[in-house]
Amino acid sequence: MVTMATEDPFNDRLSDYLDGEDLSPTERAEIEAHLATCATCETTLAELAAVAARARSLPDRPPVSDLWAGVSQRLTPAPAVLPFNRPAHRRFSFTLPQLIAAGLALMLLSGGMVWVARLGDPRTSLPSAVAQVAPEEGAPAGPATEDAEPASALSRVAFADPNYDQAVADLEKMLAANRSRLDPETVRILEANLQTIDQAIEQSRKALRADPANVYLNNHFAASRNRKIALLRRASALAMTQDAVGGS
Amino acid sequence: MTVTQAAVLLPEAEAPPACRREPPLRSEGSSPVKSAGSQVDDASNYVANAAAGDVSAFEHLYRTHLPRVHSLVRRMSGGRDADELTQDVFVRVWQKLGSFRGDSAFATWLHRLAVNVVIERFRQETTRRQRMHDGEEIFETLSAPVRSRDFPMDFEAALLSLPDGAREIFVLHDVEGYKHHEIGTLLEISAGTSKAQLHRARMMLRRYLNSER
Repeated sequence: MVTMATEDPFNDRLSDYLDGEDLSPTERAEIEAHLATCATCETTLAELAAVAARARSLPDRPPVSDLWAGVSQRLTPAPAVLPFNRPAHRRFSFTLPQLIAAGLALMLLSGGMVWVARLGDPRTSLPSAVAQVAPEEGAPAGPATEDAEPASALSRVAFADPNYDQAVADLEKMLAANRSRLDPETVRILEANLQTIDQAIEQSRKALRADPANVYLNNHFAASRNRKIALLRRASALAMTQDAVGGS
Repeated sequence: MTVTQAAVLLPEAEAPPACRREPPLRSEGSSPVKSAGSQVDDASNYVANAAAGDVSAFEHLYRTHLPRVHSLVRRMSGGRDADELTQDVFVRVWQKLGSFRGDSAFATWLHRLAVNVVIERFRQETTRRQRMHDGEEIFETLSAPVRSRDFPMDFEAALLSLPDGAREIFVLHDVEGYKHHEIGTLLEISAGTSKAQLHRARMMLRRYLNSER
């Protein structure tokens, strides 16, 4: 196997000599003196110079295929998916347009779904025997998770759900205790969005009283309540990870 | 775009606008650029328009600089993932256009950014020590210049066949014109290692040139 180590110690210095980088006058003179007496090194030096010259003259070539589609698609970034936990020393402020847009979208979605549901499409109605105002049998205690899917077409809505009500109360208490850790603007917008969600819940509740078997209304009601739970959980957890206002 | 409490609480919030720019970076400085001939135009108007969000202006910059960037990426990566890396470079350019201050030529700035993108990918793959010591054996077994369907030039094919570490340094030094101390900073190696790997690469490629005669 051929190795890069050669018997001539000057061989390894030929590239340095060729480039002249960081070469002292003494070193340069030493190598030049050797080249004057070593035909092999002189030939190798010429070959190394040819390699360097060839490298400098390499033409640029485009890719075989057009890559623009792959680039242009990525010029529109997807909405950011942000991690839930933040370092305690980081402070945040709201982007107002984002939250206003989210609140408006939620209001429009909520109102729209209720309006559509109230049109009374028979295909969206559950048999009246299924839709009941009662808690789910075997439903676990505690708040719904933020990943919980809204109830299926056979979901049953509980207007007076002690588990849900207790979960909301606990989270609201926790948030109130740590509210000072959030920016005032954050608190203001958080409260505005909670109000929007409460409006959606109330709209659904009113509509369901008139049409308790309606699938869309049932799902919308459940989804709105889940959304409130999820928002309260996130807000509480975020507040608990922040330093108190005025702290480091 | 600042990470916000709102976005954490409400992930369904409105997406940031398509033409967003990251905050200005620290100065990236200038870097030596191999003479690029007439292909690289001083497209200050296109740069300004692209920085303002004009996608068609950016496409012009892309097509103007594509051969240069793709060649750099291809040679440094040994041909692996060259297309994907090239796309990564131009997406990064789009994101960083707001930080281009015109202190250097746009081509110089773009070139340096491309090098950074490739090096970042290297760091994700293998350790620096591994890249400097593997692959020489395969070069010893090559009896003829390797011909790729994409790269018919013998010399470039031979370049692509170099061991990773030696190839990177050869491309940066002899093809792109970086100095050893600059290469050391980029690749987080000593100037001595850079010199040794360059000599190693040249000695290998010398055999290819000799075989062409």
